Amino acid sequence: MGIELIMSLIFAAALLGVGIYGALSQTNLVMIMMGIELILAAALLNMVAFWKYLHPDNPAGQMYVLIVMTVMALEMAVGFALAIARFRSRGSVEMEEAVELKE
Amino acid sequence: MIISAQLIFITFFGLAAVWFGIVVFRTYSMVRSAIALLFSQTALGALFLTLQAEFLGVLQIMMMATEMSVMAIFMVMFMMDPGGLGKMDMTHQKRLSIIAGIVTFIAAVAVAVYIDWGPITTVNDAPTIQIKALGIELLGRSMLVFETAGITILTAMIAAIAVAIQPKGNINNNHKEPK
Repeated sequence: MGIELIMSLIFAAALLGVGIYGALSQTNLVMIMMGIELILAAALLNMVAFWKYLHPDNPAGQMYVLIVMTVMALEMAVGFALAIARFRSRGSVEMEEAVELKE
Repeated sequence: MIISAQLIFITFFGLAAVWFGIVVFRTYSMVRSAIALLFSQTALGALFLTLQAEFLGVLQIMMMATEMSVMAIFMVMFMMDPGGLGKMDMTHQKRLSIIAGIVTFIAAVAVAVYIDWGPITTVNDAPTIQIKALGIELLGRSMLVFETAGITILTAMIAAIAVAIQPKGNINNNHKEPK
């Protein structure tokens, strides 16, 4: 079995684990977005590795990587817009202070 | 087991991507966090180049360089202590987060190692042939998906501007203290 594929998947798993830690542990909205970026980066690595080692003759694999890259950019754009709106109304993007979202 | 040059580069760039990913959440300085994330994503782009996905590798590096520069600016704007001089702890539920991260990592590694992925192909087409095939795929069979991505970007741009724009009549009422 391809050790290169396994290694790529293991690094993707590590990025996923670090991303989940970051998204769950951080209190700042921008830092949470950084965690989500790492999770999406893990998905990207998985897709490129699968395309390279399992279906290199099918360009649809690369197309899905482009779609995930689009999702990463959109996540950042909408996330920053929410951060600006939140900062304007409350003066902070700390999620510990966003208790009204619970109510 | 034969250690190929590709395996060495995959290991090097993979370790770099993961290490800088960890540094993102270890440093107190938010600008350093953004730069660490930039290095992590750039290492990932280099890993794509190692995997012979040249177009995606270059795209990843270019896109992330821009994205992380914007992120660093937002960090300085929105963080209480962007330089990290006060060494503020900005984390919560740390133990649960570490456990969730480790469990996810172990589960994903188990899936990677124990699943039979079928026959492995190591020979790729030349970059020019790959990019031509991708172009034909994007403007042929996958055109609907590609166009949907374009419409989604447009929708997100409009939504982001609508959310971020300052409401009328609220110009002198900024920065309310949290209740």
